[in-house]
Amino acid sequence: MRYAADPPAMRLAVALDELVALHHRPSGVTHLLAPPAPELLDALAEGPADPAELLVRLSRLYDLPDAAAEAIAARMEELVLAGLAWRA
Amino acid sequence: MAEDCDKPEKSAENGGNDRLASTGRRGVLMLGAVAASSVVTIRPALASTAASVLNCKIPIPDPSHGGKYIAQDGKLVAPGTPGAVQPAPRPLTGDEARKMINGMSPPGIDPNARQAYVNYIRRLQHGTSGFTCYASLQMPGR
Repeated sequence: MRYAADPPAMRLAVALDELVALHHRPSGVTHLLAPPAPELLDALAEGPADPAELLVRLSRLYDLPDAAAEAIAARMEELVLAGLAWRA
Repeated sequence: MAEDCDKPEKSAENGGNDRLASTGRRGVLMLGAVAASSVVTIRPALASTAASVLNCKIPIPDPSHGGKYIAQDGKLVAPGTPGAVQPAPRPLTGDEARKMINGMSPPGIDPNARQAYVNYIRRLQHGTSGFTCYASLQMPGR
């Protein structure tokens, strides 16, 4: 399963300590995101990717102690449900 | 009020972008258990009635652009543009739009036009006919 998201310019993000308040401009809806959701959206800025590829992209920037494609897929499905990403 | 004026502007600047910028320092990112949750959607009052979400209408394209074709990326183009699809034969309901976003094609809607229509819906902006309907669809559980 590959996932895609709108480009970062379509979002307005404000950091709230551990959370990010994210306004999705195309839908006009605001969400509160906990890690790793904002990082996943940022990682999709390079283009659509499957969970394995997202792991690679995140690992370039972060240490991932519990790296698992299944966890990435679960997080992405939440973003799909929220309308912030879609299955490409 | 006087207190506000005395504060250096720095304090406001620091709060914003530290987290997303993430340049330089290499942080630890936990992906979480499969069952964990990382997204909460703030529901505007307009989404309070499920029925209105399912029955609201999304014309493709917006009536002010009547007759235009829809390119595969959802942009409106001149009629007859190669690769673009014809306008939807009727406005879609919110429920139909949701099904199309999830990969289904409602009766009477050309399956080959589905992706172009879905991309058009995703591009809807505030003030465009159908936008509020699409925004309502973004509520989890709808």
